[in-house]
Amino acid sequence: MDALGNLLTGFSVALAPVNLFWCFVGVVLGTVVGVLPGLGPAATIAMLLPLTLKMDHTTAIIALAGIFYGARYGGSTTSILLNMPGESSSVATCLDGYQMARNGRAGAALGISAIASFIAGTVGVLGLMLIAPPLARFALRFAPPEYFALMVLGLAMVVFLAGDSMVKALLALLVGLWLATIGTDLFTAESRFTFGQAKLLGGIDFIAATVGMFAIGEVLVNLESRTGGDIIKLPRGLKNLLPTWQDLKDCRFAFVNGSLIGFFVGALPGAGATVASFLSYGLEKAVSRHPEKFGTGVIEGVAAPEGANNADAGGALVPLLTLGIPGGNTTAILLGGLILWGYKPGPLLIQEHPELFWGLVASMYVGNVMLLVLNLPLVPLFAQILRLPSYVLHPFIIGISVVGVFSVNSSLFDVWMMALFGLLGYLMRKLDFPASALILGLVLGDVLERALRQSLMMSQGDLSILINRPISATLLAIAAVLLVLPAIRWVRAWRAEAVERES
Amino acid sequence: MKRGFNCFPLVVVSLSMLLEQPAASQEFKPSKIIETVVHTGPGGGSDLFARAIAEMLQKEKLITQRMQVVNKSGGGPAVAMAYLAEKKAETHTVGFYTGVWVTNPLTTVEATVTLKDLMPVTRLVLEPAVIAVKADSPYKTMKDFIDAAKKNPKQLNQSGGTITSRDNLMRLLLQKATGAQWNFISFPSGGERLSNLLGGHVQMMVIEPQEAGEQIRAGNLRVIASLTEKRLASLPNVPTIKEQGIDVPLIPQARGLVAPPATPKEVIAYWEGVFDAFVKTPTWKQYLDQNQFEDAYLKGPALGKFVDALKDQMREVLKEAGAKVVR
Repeated sequence: MDALGNLLTGFSVALAPVNLFWCFVGVVLGTVVGVLPGLGPAATIAMLLPLTLKMDHTTAIIALAGIFYGARYGGSTTSILLNMPGESSSVATCLDGYQMARNGRAGAALGISAIASFIAGTVGVLGLMLIAPPLARFALRFAPPEYFALMVLGLAMVVFLAGDSMVKALLALLVGLWLATIGTDLFTAESRFTFGQAKLLGGIDFIAATVGMFAIGEVLVNLESRTGGDIIKLPRGLKNLLPTWQDLKDCRFAFVNGSLIGFFVGALPGAGATVASFLSYGLEKAVSRHPEKFGTGVIEGVAAPEGANNADAGGALVPLLTLGIPGGNTTAILLGGLILWGYKPGPLLIQEHPELFWGLVASMYVGNVMLLVLNLPLVPLFAQILRLPSYVLHPFIIGISVVGVFSVNSSLFDVWMMALFGLLGYLMRKLDFPASALILGLVLGDVLERALRQSLMMSQGDLSILINRPISATLLAIAAVLLVLPAIRWVRAWRAEAVERES
Repeated sequence: MKRGFNCFPLVVVSLSMLLEQPAASQEFKPSKIIETVVHTGPGGGSDLFARAIAEMLQKEKLITQRMQVVNKSGGGPAVAMAYLAEKKAETHTVGFYTGVWVTNPLTTVEATVTLKDLMPVTRLVLEPAVIAVKADSPYKTMKDFIDAAKKNPKQLNQSGGTITSRDNLMRLLLQKATGAQWNFISFPSGGERLSNLLGGHVQMMVIEPQEAGEQIRAGNLRVIASLTEKRLASLPNVPTIKEQGIDVPLIPQARGLVAPPATPKEVIAYWEGVFDAFVKTPTWKQYLDQNQFEDAYLKGPALGKFVDALKDQMREVLKEAGAKVVR
């Protein structure tokens, strides 16, 4: 009942007109920066931080947190419509989202991603409110071996990204893992595969790589079909632009899956929304009754990763608010903000400033409702982009890609990188290699390698550290099952075929 | 943009030069937004420092143009330093450096720009460091930890940044002075370093007092030594490493303002003027207290000497540590 009393106090803070107003401003801004690729929530919050100094502190964090979780709502828009992931956490959304758009179901995909985001976002806040301190303590049990196991599990998802050929998917994954090693090695400070280029010391920018492989690659493929006119059929009428009742029913499990995976993975510092979104996409496909349809535009394939990257926002606030430990860039900026406003973020923050914590929690319930109300009507509007003829749409996509990628580091080098990856994406599409497997390797490779080396440094090179610990052993076992399953299916199919031939 | 000037008739150019010259030789004043380069992404230490300074300068009305922070992350500071070097003689670009701007070029072939190639303008703070262990660990003093590490060589772990970071260099110096040996495990973010200490996966960490402050107050961490010459005001009961009989050189972690190469004298003078006034304000004193930074204002030739001495010290320490020193 204590939580309820606190929550009511929180709502009295969150529903004050000034806080409502700034919450709205925050989520609108968040949606906008989320829709545009490139400029992310971290940079936006950093830029706006000085403006918040004159505000009431609770109001300020309500507004800034609004940008943080609002951006996750917007992230799916360009993924679905243009095959252009705005952040690495929406790569998984592209897989089925863009295919849905191609099948004329862009509206349904956008709608379901708003609804999944709302449900998962709310579950994330619920988790933050109810189990933050015990969850933070649990997350502290994750050491390098557990992170390694989690990343292995993430990589095992490659079996769900493979199209017809598992070999091609694994090859793409390996190339991704190799690309992840480019740059300065954290442990020895030596540079790897930089070819003397100072600009490669920081490694390959995810946004440049993903936007190149997905958006630019797609444009190049489309340029070949010189049909002119519009590439994608968009049904007329508002009713056809929203998810149907059947869609919602199909996504029942995806909502739960995305919410839980997103929230728990989000609470681990350094894991992040990208891992969460791939994990929930993979889980969704694993339990699906029609896994073969994934990648052709199934609605659960959009709902699960979109839910996961929104629940992640709630999860990411757990270590920040209960321990004063930021898990990623955006939460690090929020931590900086808290210090700037004169708080002492740490284990005692919630106890000593309950109005801040509960005001924020309550505002996030309100903010998620605002985002749903804001985003659903925008769906038909955004979907109109697809009515553009290809001679307008393609330059438009390339234009947004260039501006978006440039805005991340204001670096022209990144733009050239994007062009290079665009070419690679095109070739891979032509040769039927799954681009998503490469991106999976690129995104997870860094943490995977790091966690393995950290584990081995802790154990003096003894590999048993990876399986002697209960959490990492469990995760590795699940990964092993995932990898073995397709093999079993293949053996079964082969036997069935053999039996058939004999009879 | 620069090339566009060639299109103007020569007369106009020389005329405008005649008109501008007296003003220019007297005083420089920024006339547009000041691009402020940092080497960390949004939320990193340098980023937060730069944004806080920019905000305070504006609040104190010491600058008339906004300082806009530009994140040039990658390769430690290498990308930011190369960017500043490209901005040669640019009057509206500055950056914020830290100690790694000195160490990184020493060990990285590709990092061709050194801090001395740029123009360091001021040193603003020195960040003190302390050695922390988990509150329920058996180590109450530095000696306890060293003894345990001697008894079980290479069994204890320390979490920290890269191997060229101060955390690791202090470890190497401590190992050399005491003969004890333990592992150093790199983590890219401060959050991961701290959560591995709190989770008991590593046994020790070199940490800034501000970062440790709340964890100490909540009873999660214990500080067993301060890596400073004098005891810290905020931790009066924690003896310094020297008080505990371990004589190691202390590696300073500096932060300050740097300008691109060949920046005109009057621009340097402008920034020195701004910071001369700024370090006297109560706002600055309050910021130092809040973050537990050491006030370490330095400029001109003294700053040059500091950078040179730091470079020499780092080269020695790195060599002793077995790191590959390339320049």
